[in-house]
Amino acid sequence: MRPTDLRSKSRLPLAFSVPKREDQDNEDSFQRSAKGVYALSDGASVSFDSASWARILVRRYTRNPEFTREWLSAAIAEFRKLYDRDSLPWMQQASFDKGSFASLLGIRIADGGRAIQVLSVGDSLAVLCDGDRITATFPLSSAAEFTGSPQLICTNPMQNAFLDKMDFSYDLVADWTFRGLEQPALLCMTDALGHWLLSQRDRNSSPISVLRRLRTPGAFARFVQEERAAGRMKRDDTTLIALW
Amino acid sequence: MAYKAEISRENPTCILFVIDQSGSMDEITEAGRSKAAFVADVLNKTLYTLVTSCSKSDGVRNYFDVGVIAYAGSQVTSGFGGALSGDIVHPIHAISENTLRVEERKKKVDDGAGGIVELKTKFPVWFDPKSEGGTPMRAALGKTIETVGGWCEQHPGSYPPTILHVTDGQSTDGAPEEMANGLRQISTKDGQALLFNLHVNTGAGLEIVFPTAETDLNDDYSRMLFRMSSPLPAHLAKFAGDKGYTIADGSRGFIFNGDPQCVVDFFEIGTRPRLVADR
Repeated sequence: MRPTDLRSKSRLPLAFSVPKREDQDNEDSFQRSAKGVYALSDGASVSFDSASWARILVRRYTRNPEFTREWLSAAIAEFRKLYDRDSLPWMQQASFDKGSFASLLGIRIADGGRAIQVLSVGDSLAVLCDGDRITATFPLSSAAEFTGSPQLICTNPMQNAFLDKMDFSYDLVADWTFRGLEQPALLCMTDALGHWLLSQRDRNSSPISVLRRLRTPGAFARFVQEERAAGRMKRDDTTLIALW
Repeated sequence: MAYKAEISRENPTCILFVIDQSGSMDEITEAGRSKAAFVADVLNKTLYTLVTSCSKSDGVRNYFDVGVIAYAGSQVTSGFGGALSGDIVHPIHAISENTLRVEERKKKVDDGAGGIVELKTKFPVWFDPKSEGGTPMRAALGKTIETVGGWCEQHPGSYPPTILHVTDGQSTDGAPEEMANGLRQISTKDGQALLFNLHVNTGAGLEIVFPTAETDLNDDYSRMLFRMSSPLPAHLAKFAGDKGYTIADGSRGFIFNGDPQCVVDFFEIGTRPRLVADR
């Protein structure tokens, strides 16, 4: 097999996002750095200010992708400075104390794709493809694993207790490579699209080929609307980052 | 399939508490407080939790319409006071804005760096304990039918209403079972109204939690409350199981001789319809 010249490929991402409803805020956030670091976060609507929390997570990750407990504490501290807790009305204070929740999917691409590290907390999905074939997904591998109550990163440290049992560099990480793939591609998506993709993967028409055709925000929005209308995609903020 | 409707601002669901405030609710529990005081405390905490789950930095979103029907003596009234006393059911943002008072309490929390700090926290109060007179359960369920029926007519596509009925004794105004049966017949397109019954006790006696058959129960009264109760839908059954309760096919939303922990869990499980679209 002829080796792929990974470094010669231009990998500017296509990034599209559609809110759950046109009149509501989109609480997904995406950011990338010039050093091959990408971050996607899905803020949970039923929490205090998940949009700000998601923005903080992706910004901090693209600046420093070494995700550690100290990293998380610093991110929480930044979020808490956004509000004067004691002056909030009781209902907002209660919601602030309960916490804001978001996923974090971080990608580091080194050496032109020879080394790809995926970090994930929550149910945002990374997908490695070769042409229209899915070769790996992380952190979930089947549609049934989308439970509706994923473990997300929270601004309330008590809600992050599930991370105490985890080895961050092992349990939260997958190591991939473009090496050996003829048509490598990497996709990142929030859970509505991730669930759609994994539920469609065994159909005759590859879901990757469907996504590959979406090259403009308008085309992506039409696709999401059609799949929602057909009942194949959950109504939620829906984001796709594609490195074809 | 029932109980799958998306709960959103466009399609809120209804949660109705039906609370026995008869004289016997003043009995003191093993924890040293009256049943009425304990139920009022749990109800305040439940409303606090419901409001909190709807609160964002930009305000309270109306995922729930919430009501309280209180019954005692010969009266069936709204359990809310002040501006909320005129109607039974209110959008949750109205409930958040109309408390009896907001108390300041202290709680200990993780400081995120391995330590514990004490935080002053605002805690709203809607209910003070009451206990007097008889137990007009039949009339209370009649009022519940009227309330739930009207709500379902206005919200035909919504997740159906959940009714949490809390009592400690037998009806003094006639048999309530046919009223409960009528109540459970009311439906939206997403399923029949859910009636869950909680019989509270002082802590003495064996509690029976989420039974599957009348034969699990020892007397006519508890068997009637069992028949009055809806089976737990799958997602609530799972939640109850996750909390450590033994759940089987056909488990009813019914607790008999519930101790204080059962009361807390009953409210938590019963007010847990899924916010499907708004994770």
